[in-house]
Amino acid sequence: MATPPLLADIIRLLIQLLPAMALLSLVLAGIALRLEGGSTFLIGGSFTKWIMWSVIMVTLPQLLLWFSFFGLPVPSAAGAIGTSWLAGIHSDVATFINTFIIGRLTIVLAAYFVVRAVLDVTQDGHPLASVLTAMFLLAIPATANLMSGLQTASRFAAADVLDGLWNYLAGRIMPAAAGLAVVGAIFNFATHRPVMRLIAAALAFLTMSALWRLVQQMM
Amino acid sequence: MHFENGIVNLASWLGNVILPTLSGLFFAIAIVRFAGPGQHQSWMYTGLFCLMASGILRALEFLSSQRPWNDPDLYWISVLSLVNWICNVAMPLYGVLQIVVGIMHFAGIGHRIYQGASWMRHFAAAAGCFMLSGIVRLAEWFVQQGAGGLS
Repeated sequence: MATPPLLADIIRLLIQLLPAMALLSLVLAGIALRLEGGSTFLIGGSFTKWIMWSVIMVTLPQLLLWFSFFGLPVPSAAGAIGTSWLAGIHSDVATFINTFIIGRLTIVLAAYFVVRAVLDVTQDGHPLASVLTAMFLLAIPATANLMSGLQTASRFAAADVLDGLWNYLAGRIMPAAAGLAVVGAIFNFATHRPVMRLIAAALAFLTMSALWRLVQQMM
Repeated sequence: MHFENGIVNLASWLGNVILPTLSGLFFAIAIVRFAGPGQHQSWMYTGLFCLMASGILRALEFLSSQRPWNDPDLYWISVLSLVNWICNVAMPLYGVLQIVVGIMHFAGIGHRIYQGASWMRHFAAAAGCFMLSGIVRLAEWFVQQGAGGLS
């Protein structure tokens, strides 16, 4: 029996709204990042949960390939939305998220995190966590593009994106974080706090891939 | 706007703009501490480290690239190289410094006409106050001499 056109259009609507929902997940991930520390995050915490959701939303069409692999028929979601009012909903929701939430609201939120960074200092805290969160929020469109670029056409796309994000983290972000660790070590030296752990961390940031190979070798 | 660019520029701003600026403040604190009863060496070294943030990172990058990026022994080799550098380069220099200090003490500079006499310490602190910019420039000059990095 053929899928009713309205039902097929609803499926297309949901599939085509996924990139916008991925952006929303990244905003929530940014807020969770600050709650979990800012310069660090919990594996299995809210930050990783929202990142996982954004990856799933970016790669859901490929994840549906698993049903075809299991022999279950999956209705095609390709093509434009035929029902005009559903197409209107898609256009309105995508415009709302892209221009209002990502284009304006997230930037204001990042600005508030910069204020929070200054307030952190007044309460004997560390500004880095809020500054990094602000940077994460400002970079959401670029991060979404990065995730889209990392996905493959196979049913393993979600794992491929997570794999690519790990490589990006280990190969691009961590070496830059080594510079921050050195600066932190100098500040710690000035304030008579432990220095060596930050120097050891900087070396680890610069050798992240090798550490992964080392753990694999140990198994 | 990329997250990576943000972190790189933040680290660069802190290491190349803020820390060198703060180094002058740390040298000033060192002079004030020198005039008083507190220890001043750590503030002086902090001022020097502030000028060397980029150099320290370059040194760590050099030490962590002694093997291919996917070599499981890379972290160990990096730590080993750091220990080698500290033991074979930094410690001999520190030893020379200690010999110089020992000779100065033997000559009586350490306890007859140096810090032991407060009038001398205050005159030295006053000279440091007047020469603070010059001290920072001198420290910058020393740091620039090492711009070639480790080899």
